[in-house]
Parts: sequence; C-alpha cells; structure tokens
Amino acid sequence: MKLWQKAAAVCAGVLALVVAACSVAMLLYARHTILDMSREQVRAKQRDLATSFSEMTSYYRLDTDTGPVRDSLVDYCFSRFADETSVLMRDGETLSSALDIDPSDWLDLDSADQDLWVDAYSGQQTYEGRVRGRDVLMAASLVSVRSEQYAVYTVVDVTDIHRSLAVMALIFLGVSLGGIALGAGAVTLLMRRGAKPLAALSGAAQRIAGGAYDVRADVTTKDEIGALAADFNTMAAAVQSRVDELTETARRQRLFIGGVNHEFKTPLTAILLHTRLLQKVNLTEDEKAESLAHIEKQCTWLERLTQKLLKTITLNQAITKTPIPAQELIDRVRASTQQIMADRNVTLRTSCDGASLLVDADLMQSLLVNLVDNAGKAYDPGDENRTVWLTVRDSVIEVCDAGRGIPAEAIGRVFEPFYMVDKSRSKKHGGSGLGLALVKQIADAHGARLEVHSAPGAGTTFRVELPST
Amino acid sequence: MKNRILIVEDDEAIASAVKLNLQVAGYDCAAFDDGRQAADSLLADHAYDLALLDIMLPGVDGFALFDHMQKYNIPVIYITAKTDSASEIRGLRDGAEDYIVKPFDMLTLMVRIEKVLRRTGRLNTVYRVRDVELNSETRTVTKAGQPVYLQPLEFGVLLMLLKYKNMTVTREQLMTEVWGYDYVGETRVLDVKIFSLRKKLDLGDAIRTLPKLGYRLEER
Repeated sequence: MKLWQKAAAVCAGVLALVVAACSVAMLLYARHTILDMSREQVRAKQRDLATSFSEMTSYYRLDTDTGPVRDSLVDYCFSRFADETSVLMRDGETLSSALDIDPSDWLDLDSADQDLWVDAYSGQQTYEGRVRGRDVLMAASLVSVRSEQYAVYTVVDVTDIHRSLAVMALIFLGVSLGGIALGAGAVTLLMRRGAKPLAALSGAAQRIAGGAYDVRADVTTKDEIGALAADFNTMAAAVQSRVDELTETARRQRLFIGGVNHEFKTPLTAILLHTRLLQKVNLTEDEKAESLAHIEKQCTWLERLTQKLLKTITLNQAITKTPIPAQELIDRVRASTQQIMADRNVTLRTSCDGASLLVDADLMQSLLVNLVDNAGKAYDPGDENRTVWLTVRDSVIEVCDAGRGIPAEAIGRVFEPFYMVDKSRSKKHGGSGLGLALVKQIADAHGARLEVHSAPGAGTTFRVELPST
Repeated sequence: MKNRILIVEDDEAIASAVKLNLQVAGYDCAAFDDGRQAADSLLADHAYDLALLDIMLPGVDGFALFDHMQKYNIPVIYITAKTDSASEIRGLRDGAEDYIVKPFDMLTLMVRIEKVLRRTGRLNTVYRVRDVELNSETRTVTKAGQPVYLQPLEFGVLLMLLKYKNMTVTREQLMTEVWGYDYVGETRVLDVKIFSLRKKLDLGDAIRTLPKLGYRLEER
C-alpha cells in the first residue's frame, strides 16, 4: 500500500467517525427536544381543557340531580372547549369523543399503574405509546362535578412527528455519507498530488541506478519534497562527476598500458632477433660486436624506460617539500644535463633572483632536467644560436628554447604519456614519450601550474608556477 | 642470382638484425630507416624481389610506401607493432602479400619470405656452396659442373642446409622438414645422411656439427 493511499484511508476513516458521531448526537438531541415539546403541548392542552370544563360546570352550579338535564349540561360545557382530540368519560363510559378508540383501555385513571407518569399537583397522568398502529400521546385527569367524577382525556396522534424524525434521520445519513465521500475524495486528491513529486524522485533514482547518471529529478515544488529533490539532484551531480572522473582515469590508464605494451615491443623484438642471430649464425667478429652493441643499447633503453615508468607510477604518493636555494637547484640541473647538452652542441643559460624554493628537490630537479633535455632536442642539426634558457623568478620557473616549436594541434597532447610530436625524430634522441608526462605529474604533485607556449619556428616556453607560500 | 630484398624499418636494431640474418642466408639486402628516402631510392634502383615494410615510418608511412612498391611490382610483407586487426586488414586488402607482428621470430619471417617469393615466381631455385650447385626445380645437384646423384633424403637435407646457409638448423627441424614428421628416437639416420653428403660432395669442413644443437652449412 502506497503512502498516499494510507494517508487518504486514515483521513477518510477519521472524517467518517466524526461526521457519524455528530449526526447521531444531533439527531438524538433533536428527537428528544421535539418529543418533549409535543408532550408538554399535550399536557398543557389537557390541563386547559380540564380547567375550563371544571370552571364552567361550577359556574352553572350543577346542583340539580336530575340526570338528563345534568348530563346535557355537562355535555354542553365540555363541547364548548372540546376539539377532535378531546374525550370525556364517566365510570368507564364515553360521554363525548371524536375518536374511535376508548382511551381508558391504555390510560385508566382508576388503576394505580406505577408505570404512568403522574403530575402530583393536578393529578394529571400521561401515556405515550402505540395504539392501533399509530404513535399516540395521551394526557388525562379527573374532574369532580358534584358527587361524580369525570375523566377528561386529550389524545394526540404523533405518528407524523415520528415519521418526520425518521425522515430527518435519513436526510442526516445521506448528508453525512455525501460529506464523507466528498471529504475522502478531496483528501485522496491532495495526497496523490503530494505524492507525485515523490514518484518523479523515485523514477529519477531508478534511472540513475540503471546507469543514466545525467538524469535529474524534475521537481520544483516549494515544500519539503522540493528541498529533498534539490538535495537529491546535488547528490546525483556529485555521483556523476565522480563517475566521469573514474571513467576518465580508467581510459587514461588503458591508454597508458597500451602505450607501455607498444613501447616495450620494439626493443624486445630487436634484442630477441640479435640474440638468435648470435646463437644460430656464424657471424664474423665485427658482426658479433655490432650485434652485441645493439643488444646493449636496447637494454639500456629498456632500463631507462622502466625507470621512467616506475617514477610515473609511484609519483602519486605524497612528496616532502623542503626549502632549497634556487641557485643550488639550477646548479644541480646544469650538472646533470652538461654532457647531453654538450653532445648536442646546445648552450644552457640560467638566471636566478636568489630566492629559495619550497619543493621536493629531487623531484623538481628531475622535472627541470626533463624540460631542459626536452628543450635541447628542439634544435635541428643546421640551426644556429642553439641556446636553452632556464630562469627562476618569484616562484616562477621558465625553460625556453628558440627551436622548431610545437604545432598548434599537438600542444594539447604533449603531456600525454607516450605522445610524441615526431615519433621517429624523438626516438633518435632516445625519447620515451614519458618525459613531459612525468613533468606534468611532478608539477601536479607540487600543486604547481604548468603552461606551455609555443609556435612553430618561434621556439617553446614551459612555465612552472609554484603555489605561493 | 641472389634474391634482393628491400627493408624499410626505422628501428636500427631490428633492421640490422633482419639484414644480417637475410644476408648470411644468401639474400641481397638494402635497408632504409626513412620512408621518404626509400621511396626516392626506388627511382634509381627498383630491382627488388620483395619489400619488408614497417608501418610506422618517418617521412612516408608503410601504407603510403605500398603504392610505390606496386608501381614496380614488388610484393610486400608488412612488419608491424600494431596488433589491432584494423591495420592488418587494411594492409592485406590493399594487396600486401603477408604481415608479421613484432616481436617475431626470424625463421618465421624467412619461411614467409620464401613462401611469398615462391608464390610470385621469384624464388631463386639455384643454391650454391663452394663449387656445389643445387637446383630445387629440376632436383639436380652438380659439383664442379659434373652431376652428382643424391638419394631423395640426402637431397632434402642438403636443400634445407642451403636454404638456411650459415644458420644453425636443429636436428628436430631437419627431421620434421625432410622426413615429414616428428621423428622420435632413432636419429642416427640423419647422421648417416650427413656423413654421405660430406663424402659425396667433399663438404667435410663446410657442414659443421654443432653438438646438441644441429648442423650448419658454413661459407664465409
């Protein structure tokens, strides 16, 4: 059972209970009041009748004993006040009545019936009940005329009142049921509308679980559910960006592994071929030496590649920064690039503002050696003015050359592992395609900004901006 | 007449190994490490029986170089580090005879070279060592111009040694190739054939026995 259905059912139940209780209470009260009023009316009427009859008979001083005269006088006196509800009896004999019943059958004034209601002052008695299929109210009292007792009855048919009460009850029932139905409908509608954003939220959650990470819940209500939806969307965005990040990492790693595989294949093939050559072919001493030289070169190359790979892979760990004078760092870089720069006939010029840098000295040296080595390869054999500049100023390190530059379409990719702008030229210089990837990793580990500015024929500048301390 | 093979491979170490191997086996080889240079050289000299082309080349890549080869009717075998089938399919659909993926084994490459040469009718059928000549087409052997009769198995062993001249051929390779099955156990029959070859053709010192390895026909 859904939440909105539960809420609607509970609301409808409570509504029904309240309406029913109110209806019953009002109905009972109305019935009580109406019947009380009717009773009081009947009693008052009978009292008036009896009093008027008694006074009139005493006015005429009915002192004659002669039966017929007296009887007709009594009859006259009674008829002056009687209507269709009045009955006059004497000794169980009906003297005047417009009714076809004998009221003394139900209300006998002579018998002391305990069940009957008796007014202590007037001696008036009342009966209430069903007479021949009709609801009837009777009131009666004795009136003395000379020595004789007359019973004066007022009998009122209240069947219509009872029927009206029944009709009223039916109307109440109808109105109550209608009210309950309307109320329940309204509550249901409200609850369903309230639950709709929840359904939208649930749908969005399911689609996200199914892998559609770009789905958002389209809920704009201004209530708690709207707030929940906003939080949900924030969470979904966080999940999406994390998933994208992981996917990108996985893609880069796949490319990296593919690159490693490819880079290892060529030197391994060469080593394998030369080893077999030495094993199986009767080579001259010169040929043997050449073959061995090839094997040694390829092994050295593999060794370097492995070193760089290892560095690239293990660099993700935390680094330890210590202050080092910029000049000392520059001297170390110059020392480790001296031979290779001399071989290429390239001059390294450095300048420094004497500041101290807060870096991991070994890693930063490795970064700068890579950049300087890279810049040294930027010159073609015929180029003049073969210089690489290394400058340190205000936590900004720049390595510039005036070499061939990097084509615009390649600039975005130079930091990718195994990417080489010109593969064969790079290989001739012993490039692995990992140098700049390593530079990028070291810069990232330092939280430094790494930029490259270059134009074909106009040289290249690599700029490392260390975070200000 | 030796078969001439063009090698275009930018990795110097691989190129030199392949070249050395093919040369000692009796092929003439020319090697280039740049696609552009290789293409230009064809203008002056294109008398090659086969080309081994690397696909990733500086200057002009292997696929582009293929068009130059077709102009001179030179069959092509690609040497590639690309294992993805897309480039293999492209290479073969364009009409290359075969391809081989790095790292490869030299004997495998030589078998493929021989197959391509035979298929294109360029395989040199005359092998020589000293004054001995073997024609694999007519199945005749001469020494100093005079015909020498060899038993079929002797002929097979000599052909195998000549094909891989200067290279060690293992006993297993000889047994499989000449006898046609994995000969287990008695390999004295091979020693007998070698003995009679040495005697009949006076190749006592040219056919070298390499203990535990096999035999090598040397001519340097």
